[in-house]
Amino acid sequence: MANPRFSIGDEVTVRDETTLFHTRTQKFARGRTGVVVEHRPEWVIPEDEAFDRMETGRKEPFYVVRFKQTELWPGYTGQSIDTLESEFSERWLVPA
Amino acid sequence: MQYATLMERVRHLAPEERNVLDSPYQIPNELYAALRSVLHDVGGQPDAPTPYLEKGEEDWEMNTYLTCECLGWRGAWNSEMRRRAENDLGATMYFGLPYYARWITVAAKTLVDKGLITTDELGQKIDEIRARLEARD
Repeated sequence: MANPRFSIGDEVTVRDETTLFHTRTQKFARGRTGVVVEHRPEWVIPEDEAFDRMETGRKEPFYVVRFKQTELWPGYTGQSIDTLESEFSERWLVPA
Repeated sequence: MQYATLMERVRHLAPEERNVLDSPYQIPNELYAALRSVLHDVGGQPDAPTPYLEKGEEDWEMNTYLTCECLGWRGAWNSEMRRRAENDLGATMYFGLPYYARWITVAAKTLVDKGLITTDELGQKIDEIRARLEARD
């Protein structure tokens, strides 16, 4: 794998970028801050993969990011230790 | 949390426009943003509870899954192309079809898009199979 920019334990914020036609980056995660908990293998980013660019698409490291549910949902009524994990390619993350 | 902040968050999460429009002369930017929301991004949108059914996989569903996987192995498409094609069905079809009916519909559409089969071949095959099944019953 190319050197991933983020390490396990890093705090990252998901970018809120205008999306046209296709995305895997959920609205509820945009602008939210979480912690990198796992590296995933480098792969073609969904924005290219979705348009049949398996050969020419941009490859990036992927990360599993863990959010506190209270960070994601206004007025979350569950336990304060509850978390949610989702996966992002590197371009979607900035240091928190 | 302040009410205004809450409403802003909800608006951000739930921008789906469900009114039927009829090619209006102009629309505000907010509506344009809502209309091009990617359909499968439903997390956080308000919805009514759905009863959970303990329902096994049916033959046509497994056959659909295997067909789609084989098409992937042979390089006809990939899972992300399938998800995009499902979104591209539009809201009525996307939310109207059962899960695997979405898969098989977009598998056919992708093969047509790529010129691997034609719509008339597909239609004739469907008619042929329907006639065979009706003769059997």
